[in-house]
This record gives sequence, C-alpha cells and structure tokens, in this order.
Amino acid sequence: MPSSTSNFKRILRLPRLFFRTPTEAESVHGGPPLEFERPIPQIPWRGMTVVVVLVVIGAALAWEFYCRSIGYGPTLNDNEDLWTITRQRVRPESVVIIGDSRGWFDLDLDELQKGLGIRPVQLAMGGGCGYPVLADLADDKTFHGTIICSFVPRLFFAPPGTPPMERGEKAVRRSHTQTPAQQASQYIAMPLEERVAPRLPPYFGTLDRERRARMIEQCARPGSELQKRIQQIWLPLFTPPPPPSYVPKDVFMAKMKDAIETRFRDTVRAVEKLRARGGKIVFVRLPVSGGLKALEDQTTPRKQTWDPLLQGTRAPGIYFEDFPELASFNCPEWSHLSAGDSVEFSKRLVPHLRAALGM
Amino acid sequence: MLFNSLTFVVFFVVVVTAYWSIHSWTARKNLLVTASYIFYGAWNPPFAALLFSTTAMDFWLGRQIAKAKGSSRRAWLVASVCMNLSMLGFFKYGNFLLENFQWLLARIGIIYHPPHLDILLPVGISFYTFHSLSYTLDIYRGVLQPTRSLRDFILAVSFFPQLVAGPIVRAGDFLPQLVRPPALRIGQFMWGLLLMTLGLFEKIVLADTMLAGSADRIFGYAGPLVALDSWLGVIAFGSQIFFDFAGYSTCAIGAALCLGFHLKDNFRFPYAAIGFSDFWRRWHISLSTFLRDYLYIPLGGNRVGWTRAAINLVIVMFLGGLWHGAAWTFVVWGLLHGFYLVIEHASRALVGEQAWTDNFAVKLLLGFVTYGAVCLAWVFFRASDFTIATRMLRGMFGGYPHGDAILATREILQIGIVTFFMMLAHWSLRETNVETAVTRLPRWVVTAAWALMACAIILTQGSSNAFIYFQF
Repeated sequence: MPSSTSNFKRILRLPRLFFRTPTEAESVHGGPPLEFERPIPQIPWRGMTVVVVLVVIGAALAWEFYCRSIGYGPTLNDNEDLWTITRQRVRPESVVIIGDSRGWFDLDLDELQKGLGIRPVQLAMGGGCGYPVLADLADDKTFHGTIICSFVPRLFFAPPGTPPMERGEKAVRRSHTQTPAQQASQYIAMPLEERVAPRLPPYFGTLDRERRARMIEQCARPGSELQKRIQQIWLPLFTPPPPPSYVPKDVFMAKMKDAIETRFRDTVRAVEKLRARGGKIVFVRLPVSGGLKALEDQTTPRKQTWDPLLQGTRAPGIYFEDFPELASFNCPEWSHLSAGDSVEFSKRLVPHLRAALGM
Repeated sequence: MLFNSLTFVVFFVVVVTAYWSIHSWTARKNLLVTASYIFYGAWNPPFAALLFSTTAMDFWLGRQIAKAKGSSRRAWLVASVCMNLSMLGFFKYGNFLLENFQWLLARIGIIYHPPHLDILLPVGISFYTFHSLSYTLDIYRGVLQPTRSLRDFILAVSFFPQLVAGPIVRAGDFLPQLVRPPALRIGQFMWGLLLMTLGLFEKIVLADTMLAGSADRIFGYAGPLVALDSWLGVIAFGSQIFFDFAGYSTCAIGAALCLGFHLKDNFRFPYAAIGFSDFWRRWHISLSTFLRDYLYIPLGGNRVGWTRAAINLVIVMFLGGLWHGAAWTFVVWGLLHGFYLVIEHASRALVGEQAWTDNFAVKLLLGFVTYGAVCLAWVFFRASDFTIATRMLRGMFGGYPHGDAILATREILQIGIVTFFMMLAHWSLRETNVETAVTRLPRWVVTAAWALMACAIILTQGSSNAFIYFQF
C-alpha cells in the first residue's frame, strides 16, 4: 500500500479486512495476508448516482432533440463490421455492388432485384476505393458471380496509403479477421443506431442494414442550405492535392503515374482471375453534376481513365453520359442522386446492365 | 471483447447481475470462470484452449515444485519458466527471431530465406503468461503455497478485468481473495462504476478523440517536420499512451471492484515523477514490480557492486522493452530507460542527499527533465522503424528549420490543453491518490465530473479502437 494508508484510516471507513492476518481457512492458499484492499471513498453514493443517471439521461435526450430539430435523424454507421456482415452474405452466384458512395446512393436494390432476378449485395463504400474489394472477390475461389463496380477515377486509382484505399483495405481485412465480439457489438449497435443515435455532421443520407443509402429530403430539396454545404465539401476532396514539399514535383508525379499504372495492371489481373472462374464484371460511371462534374472532367478525363480501364480489362462499361435516359438526372449535391431519382435511375439502368452482362 | 464496446456493456451487466444474484460462492466463481473464458474466446475461440493449457500446466507444475526437494524444485521451476516463455517466444517473437537470424547469416555471407510463419498473436499473451508464471515463481520462492483448486487458479489467471491488458495481477495477490465471498457494498460497487467511467473517459475521449489523430499524423508523416510539430506529436503520444493504458487499468480495477475484488494501482501519476526510479514506481507498476521481484533482485539487484547493479538495470530494462513488442525499436526504448536509470543511480551516488534537492522548484525542474527524457524515449516506442524515429528526433532538435508544419491550430490547442491539465492533475495528486481527492472534493464537483465524463463518452461515440497495450 502507498504510504498514505494511514491518512486513509482517518479519512475513510476502512474495510474490515484491512490489516488483519489471514484466518486458517484463508491459508489454504498459504498466500500473503490479505493486507491489500482498495480504500473506498465514503461519500453519499446513492444520491450522487441518482443525480448522475438523471443528468446523463437528460443530456442524452436533449442532444437527441437538438439533433432532430436541426434535421438529423438516426442511421446506421457505416463501419467495417457492418461491411463484414454484408460481405458474409455474398454467395457464389451473387450480384455484388462495389466501389464508392455513388454505388450506395444511386443503385436501388429493389429495382435491381426486379430487373436482374437476384438481389444484389451492397459492398460499395462511402469515400472508398473499389479495388481492394475487387481483389478480394477475385481471390475468393468460391465466388463466380457478377460484380457491378461503380467507378470514380480519383477514388478507384487512389494510391496505397491514401484514405480511400485504406478504407477498402480495412474493410476487407476486417472481413477476414472479425472476432465474435466485434460481430456481436455490431448486432447490438444496430437497433440503437436505428433509433437513437444521430450521426455527427455531415449528415445527408441514411443507411440501412443492407447498406443501401438514401439521400435525406432536406438535402434533395432544391437550393437548400444543406445541399449547398455538401456541394462545397466535394470540391476540396476531389481536387488533386499539391505534391508534398519534401518530394520534388517530378519525382512525385512519376510516383503517382507508377501507382496508377500498377492499379491498372492489378485491376486487369483481378478481372482476369474472376473471369477465369466464370465471374463477370461491369464498370459503371454513375451520374455527377454541377461544379463537381466539371472538376472531375478536368482532372480525370474519360480518355485517360475510363477508356483505358475498359480496354485493359476487356470488361463492359456503362457511362451515364452515353445514354440520354441515364444522363438526364441531376445530383442535388453534385455527387449522388436523390432517393426518389435513384429508384428511377436503377430502373433505367437495368436494361443496360442486362445487355452488358449478356443476361 | 473491448471495454469500450457495446458487447462488453451487455456482457458486464449480465455477469454482474448474475454474480450478485447467486448465493453460492462456488457457483459465483464458476460463473466468473465461464464469463472470463467467454470474454477471452470472443476474440478468437481457439486461443481460449491455449490459455487453459498453460494455466493447467502451471497448476500442475506448482504442485510439483511444492512437493519436490533440493535440485528437482529448481528443475520443475525451470520447466514452468521454459513452458511459459517458449509459448510467449513462439507466438510473439517467432518471426522476429527468424528475421534476425536471417540477417545474421547474411552478414557472414549465407543467404537463407526462412518461411514466414503466419502466426496470429493471441491477445494478452504477455499478460496472462506473467499472471500464471508468478504462481510457480512464488511457490519456488516459498512465499506461496500451491492452491488445491484448479478452478481458483484458472480464475486467478483468467479473471476477465485483468486478463488481456493488465494490471499483471500475481496469483498470490488474487488467490486469497477467492477464499471467502465478498459482500456487496454499495459504495464499493459505485466507486467501481465511477472508476470504469473514468477509465473509459480517458480512453475514448482523451486518448482516441483528442490525441490519437494528431500523434498518428505526426508519426505517419513522411517528410521533415518543424520542431514544434515534432515535439507536439511526441507529447500527444505520451499523453495518449498514458490515457489509453491507465484508462484500461482503471476500467479493470473498477470492474473488479464491482465484483468485490481488489486490484492494486497500475499507475500513480507517472508524469509527475522526479527521476526515473520514481517514474517506474508510478508507470505500469505491476510490470515494473514483476521485473524487480523476479528478475532484478534474483540477478543480485543493488546488493552487488555498482557496475554489476548498473548492468542488471540495463538487462532488466532491455527485457522490459522486448516484452512490449518484437521489434528493435522497443529494445532501444527499454535500453534508453535502462541508461536513464544508470545515470540517475550514478548521480545519486555522486551528489548524495543534498538539502537543496528538497526545494519545490528543483523538484519541478527535475520532474520536467524526467518528463522530457521519457518523451524522448517514447519516440522509439511509437515509431515503427528507425527511419521514422531518426526523422522525429532530428525534427525535435531543430534539424529541419524549414520543415513542414502540419498540425492545425485546433490540434495544437487540443494537445496543449489536454496535456496541461494532465500534468496539473499529476503534480497535484503525486503525493496522494484519486480516492483521497474524491473524498476531499465537494460532492457536487464529483457528481458533475462523473456526469460530464459519462455524457462525453456517449456523445463522442467511440469507434471501439483497440487499446494500445493489447498488442503487447
């Protein structure tokens, strides 16, 4: 015990066993005497606990009311465990959606199920690169189904070590290492998140247990403040970062070029591996609007990204701008379709998917 | 199962409710054994079998040591030590040893490519190996009689609050608590809950939310950093690892109290340490006392000559560093602390006990020198390789006057404010402890602090980051 023990004897009510020698019964273990017991502060515990419980419940309720008053609502958190649970639903013949958040928001599972005859499994990731998931499915010898890969060049070609790539890698890693405790936590968390846990900003969509995302009404409303705020989030995110100060520009650019070429090669390899088992893949360029479209067209032009990807992989692709019925949609916050539009868009996309996949 | 996970909340509520509802002490202990194995198996069920087999072996070896006479006592102890350390060695150091063996062969011109062992490190193996080993060591030392109950020993090793990340609770400290059932005391139970709240607050809010991001960014930055950012990154990590590990220990102590068990302190305001001996009396106390009692003292401690005692210190700290992880960076961290301790012992021998050293300003100065040196050593603990460590140290000592400044003002403020209040708390409480502080504080302050911590935990909605010490 620390030397302050004697102070405790004065200040605190010491437990009965504090300094006594062990009884006969206790010497079964023959251990040292029970000279250690933690001192317990003698304060009015019951009253304090009641106050703490009331304050915490009150604060949680106040936070919930506040969040709802500013338009926030409950939604599932998209984490690696939810992704892993969804990944476990993939069967050998499954149709799997991979890629980024446009695959999440823009593709309606009900419509795709109606059109394709099978309900897709949603494995796309917000702000994520689809490549790690593609590689994982290509390495999964049991899988010979169909992949619908949403393609956003800046995310798909994100080099190793960057957040989009790490997001995908972390999810895949978790799917191979998820512990029973992590899985249980996810199942316990979901009912809570669906009812009482508002997300922290930016909140503009909801996610369900199938990982289908829907844009909230407030964001889809033309000219809303939230819509404008979200639009401004995309621009810096999709603007190429300046080279780091400690690497000469030409060295950095050469490294980036090399990383992109490597990703092309790896993607081709993964697609061939999948195809060798009878699997199929279709790349989909989903709608983008406004300032973000201009930025993407400028920094990642179709000729340098989409076209070589399809040529290299010899895979079919659907570019929304190639089809008037797909190009007529507007993304309210520039990057994703509204919940209502996503249903109609998916309905119109189905014939193109069937044609591309030879269904 | 992480303390900061919903699974643990449900698990704990169920276990505590069932535990206090059962009258039979035997049934309660059986419940705790089952709960502890579920707690452990929830990570990786097969590793529960490994835990059981090492425990059962040490139980049996403990009896053999007690029965044996003369040199066979030592032989049984050697068997126990070898069994435990080889298990630890295989799972934790297998690849490290192979890689270094390969490197050594390459130095003499032999090219050897060992197969990479795909070994999954059983969580908490460093901790439960020491829990178990303390039993046979104490029986050999004659300070503990072997227990007759395998179930009690299993519980002593696997008691879930302490199982995976400490404190390292010696069987001799825990087994006597299994003799008689503890009574449910409301104050003790509530104090346990308050400690759990404090521990989770330290982990989720302070370590994960306020500090981890900045420390990760600084140590993960591939370029040169200015001195301010380098120092702030190291300071952020120093605070983060304290809140992370002390948070886990506090949770463990609180959870044990809720079940009527008493675990000793594992931290005692270490950043207010004056000198390195003092630091190790305050930081990870259960490990430092373990190494002291089972390694430093058997090596001769400070009863041998000055040089030998210095070598002993370095050996202990070398192994202490290696215990933390299979990497040379951890070894350097341990050796640095060994070096600090040797310097301190030499200074004491030269200067002796002078009156002027009892001055508060001198103590404060020495305390900050200690803190600075400890932070310096954290560089090797946190850096994943020597390139990063060297770059960090160079940055800290002004090697990159035109380096990058990547921390935002908000991050600088977060690190500064959290570390300032942490230091204030450590220096205010260095001669006392939390229990005394809580007893002396006005009731409303304690109530408000408890409620605020609970609210902050709920609102930050921790992302269930694993505790840093799980990897050790």
